[in-house]
Amino acid sequence: MAIEIPTLPEQLPNDAPRHVGKAVNRVEDPALVSGTVEFIDNCVLPGMLHCAILRSPHPHARIVSVDTSAALAADGVVAVLTGEDVRRWCDPVFTAPEGWGNYCMAVDKVRFVGEPVAAVAASSRYLAEDALELIEVEYELLTPVATPEQAMASGAPLVFEERGTNVMLARKYEWGEVDRVFAEADHVVSRRFRWNRVGANPTETFGCICQWDLADGTLTCRGSYQTPRFMGIGRAGSLRLPANRVRIIAQPMGGGFGGKGGPRGTDIAALLSRKAGGRPVKYIEDRMEYLLAGGGQSWDRYYDAALAVKADGTVTGFRVRLVDNQGAGAEGYGTISAAKPLAAFTGNYRIEAAAYDLTLVATNRAPSYPYRGYGPPPHNLVLESLMDCTARELQIDPAELRRRNYIRPEQFPYTVPSGNEYDSGNYGQVLERVLALADYPALRARQAAARAEGRLLGISVVNTVEPGVFDWNAYATVGVPGIGVPEGVKVALDVFGNVTVAVGFNLQGQGQFTVAAQVVADYLGVDMAQVRISTAASDVAMPHFGQGGSRLGVAVTGAILGACEKLKAIFTTVAAHVLQLPADDLVLRNGRIQRRDAPAHGMSLAEIAGLMLTRSDLLPAGVEPCPEATYVWTAPNRNAPDDQGRCRSYLTAAYATHVALVEIDRDTGRVDILDYSIVDDCGTRLNPANVEGQLQGGVAQGVGAALYEEYVYDAQCQPLVSTFVDYLMPTIHEVPMTRKDHFVTPSPVAPLGAKGCGEGAMHTTPAAILCAINDALAPLGKELLETPASPHRVWKLLQEAGSAIANGPTGTRT
Amino acid sequence: MKPAPFDYHAPATLDEAVALLTRLGDEGCDVKIIAGGQSLMPMLALRVARPEVLVDLGRLEALDYIRDEGGTLVIGAMASKQAAADSDLVRRAQPLFQAATELVGHRQIRNRGTVGGSFAHADPASEYPAVALVLDTEFEAVGPDGMRTIPAADFFVTYMTTSLEANEVLTAVKFAPFAPRRRWAIQEFARRNGDLALAGVAVTLDIEAGLCRDVRIAAFGVQATAVRLTAAERMLEGRPAQPQHFEEAGRVAATALDDPMGCIHASPDYRRHLVGVLAARALTEAAARPQ
Repeated sequence: MAIEIPTLPEQLPNDAPRHVGKAVNRVEDPALVSGTVEFIDNCVLPGMLHCAILRSPHPHARIVSVDTSAALAADGVVAVLTGEDVRRWCDPVFTAPEGWGNYCMAVDKVRFVGEPVAAVAASSRYLAEDALELIEVEYELLTPVATPEQAMASGAPLVFEERGTNVMLARKYEWGEVDRVFAEADHVVSRRFRWNRVGANPTETFGCICQWDLADGTLTCRGSYQTPRFMGIGRAGSLRLPANRVRIIAQPMGGGFGGKGGPRGTDIAALLSRKAGGRPVKYIEDRMEYLLAGGGQSWDRYYDAALAVKADGTVTGFRVRLVDNQGAGAEGYGTISAAKPLAAFTGNYRIEAAAYDLTLVATNRAPSYPYRGYGPPPHNLVLESLMDCTARELQIDPAELRRRNYIRPEQFPYTVPSGNEYDSGNYGQVLERVLALADYPALRARQAAARAEGRLLGISVVNTVEPGVFDWNAYATVGVPGIGVPEGVKVALDVFGNVTVAVGFNLQGQGQFTVAAQVVADYLGVDMAQVRISTAASDVAMPHFGQGGSRLGVAVTGAILGACEKLKAIFTTVAAHVLQLPADDLVLRNGRIQRRDAPAHGMSLAEIAGLMLTRSDLLPAGVEPCPEATYVWTAPNRNAPDDQGRCRSYLTAAYATHVALVEIDRDTGRVDILDYSIVDDCGTRLNPANVEGQLQGGVAQGVGAALYEEYVYDAQCQPLVSTFVDYLMPTIHEVPMTRKDHFVTPSPVAPLGAKGCGEGAMHTTPAAILCAINDALAPLGKELLETPASPHRVWKLLQEAGSAIANGPTGTRT
Repeated sequence: MKPAPFDYHAPATLDEAVALLTRLGDEGCDVKIIAGGQSLMPMLALRVARPEVLVDLGRLEALDYIRDEGGTLVIGAMASKQAAADSDLVRRAQPLFQAATELVGHRQIRNRGTVGGSFAHADPASEYPAVALVLDTEFEAVGPDGMRTIPAADFFVTYMTTSLEANEVLTAVKFAPFAPRRRWAIQEFARRNGDLALAGVAVTLDIEAGLCRDVRIAAFGVQATAVRLTAAERMLEGRPAQPQHFEEAGRVAATALDDPMGCIHASPDYRRHLVGVLAARALTEAAARPQ
């Protein structure tokens, strides 16, 4: 049966969509605001023990011995786990690229500060932590590998000796005639950039309760799991269990953003449960553990990049060399993050040729993990900064330079040199709207007036294309085994006509349960209050992936629509039989199967469901008494990558332009954001409030990356950031409430025309702020090409320019 | 992040507290007093502080007051910082102290933290010690031998260390009357709103016939304790209250500063520079304050 998924809200079987497209109240919120959500730390199981993990204080050292005898004898301690147990029972965790992985606990040497060395399960977390202090570990210190430069030097100490090198992956891509366009360019604009480590910091750190049923050999893991099915497969691998003996129960999460490094904590808690006779073991990662060695560190990057530009400002080529300090291993799938820019390598522009030279190296920093946006936030900062440098060199207004280089509306669907296809767009329209919203001429006038007073105001006009809805093929080119990304649901009506949607993921904050309820309520013509969204454990859920890659809102919409289409067919068959009418005369409209020419004749879906479940005698032959349907959605028209990684990887291409105004305090180097405007187009806005939340949240994280956040290490690879006193998340005081407007260009290929929109603001904001800072610095002839633009860093530049002292303090701040 | 084991006492009266502290001290116990716990609790959780015994002053409600004693503002050690920030009496009597209190963290932090706890904690990045140095502040402490008064200049010893004895309880902070003609300002530089300052400066001065008199400048966040910037004070004394002199005072203050701290957010050089900028700004702000 071919299933057609509606690509516009108007195609829903309703007179008018009643929920889709509206900022309806979120179904998630009553439980959140009343404190009844079952976050993992709220869960208590009978006989539950508590895990604490002893972590390495050294970045690189051989483990000579671990003595746990005193800990085992301590109050309340039931089990102690060491690397020896892990070596006996486990395999290293899954990594990409393959073979660059650690066990969940160090077995022979430690490779980063914070790497687990032993763990205790005790009757309380307090006693478990007390017992950790009784474990004696003897280390033989090894020379740490602190930087990519050190890592790549000949004779460097090796992070993974068995690999014979610290280079995890080196790969060059060339798309189009790159040498020619650079040779023919009138200008080549090149710069080096340094993006320092930042990362995801959800309100809730990782947590789990693992229970190893020793009788039937089944492991059940409850926890804050972002991708439950993927997590289950990984655990089966590392813990040597059949995959159908690992149940992952995803609890609601206090945020994710890609940073919940669950594998290690899950494996350790699981093994402790195994050692403790199958008692459940809870592990709640604390913030210090998270900051030191959780999944919150990403993007430790050195860029060397250039644009080839014609005299009229036409950009013809883009070359990028990236050296990425992945830290101690590839358990966070670093290649994915480095390869994602292939999906939108050349941004919003008609750049005919591009090249990407990618080197991933291992060092003794903590392993890096995914973070919202994956690779594009730093990549887009490089591209957009080079566009601004070009504008300055050619003395073209930065908005005008972009306008000249945009992919034109009539060129969609547009295939970028790196292979992905953008489904639809109108970039010029968004640019003109945001320039009007921000009153760009007035901003420039304000800047001119400020400059005349010696103040440093800067403006940026920065774009992004946000690839949405990733697919398996996106990362096959960099050694990631086929990770399917289906999204499956079951839509079920009960005997009273209530609707339950079983999904494979749980709440994480984005509001996907609300979107699911909106879509199913509109399709089946019920009230949202009649809909319940429920998370199925991984062993019984349909194939699914969950949150990640700006895909879930679109994917779950597709899955629900597919299941509803199947239900419509079944219900129509039943109704035709009961009403003794030809099925072709019947249509689904507003929750009823009714005669096309006489709508009063028909049955409600509730009536049909009730009949199906209670009166088998009235069912047509061959129809099961089951008013339920499953559907697993996957993006249409995907293809395998060619030898240069080119393929249709991301289904949708949302886009936005941000305009920022900043001021730099000449005396202190402090950057203040004075004004911020966004216009975006992510196709159909299934729930406009959700979209706005995604934008504003992305801006917040972008502000953090641009100005505040940084995982600092010293020259010996000791982390200098271990609490929120030093890792500076922006607060409501630092994040501008942005002015926003939008267009709707529905995707012609995605369910209801909606495009992935979870990451775009994070792609754009760091670039927007850094470009504005450089616009402000332009009169001094200085550029800041490193993030974050901390006051100290900016002040040093001002010192070099001699401006801070020459001008003296400029008066009182209020 | 769970505290190491400790014994816990919550005495009901001040006398009981002092007797307990004395007894525990005689027994050689490592004792720590906890007031609001705003700073101590995280240190306990991180096991950075691991006293054997915690003596909680939370039941000493008699120390939770803010009152005027013949023109002297007296704040009980257990008054919360938010109570001080909200107090009209504090605002009228000691506007600099009130402004400094509003710079402490966020409301939740000020609700939890106490005035006495903050002074006794003596964090070098705290606004309070610097304010105490430029105001005529005294600390009232009660020990086994009764009450004594410690002037601010003798109270702060070094990094998180005061001259309080182990068996003394800080009971009150006293501020001598602040003359209405006196000018004041506090300026600080923090990475984010509410963060501990990377550097800060508090000033008080008189301006008589356009000339600076009795200038007091103190910096915080730059050394192991708050520090008076005496070179800049001397330089300004008797000079016209004009921007170029304030800027020069900033440069003098920065140059004269001994050995500023460094951290990942600010090098010693940057801190030194910030002190100069903030001193000049604070002096400018104070001079411009309407009388």
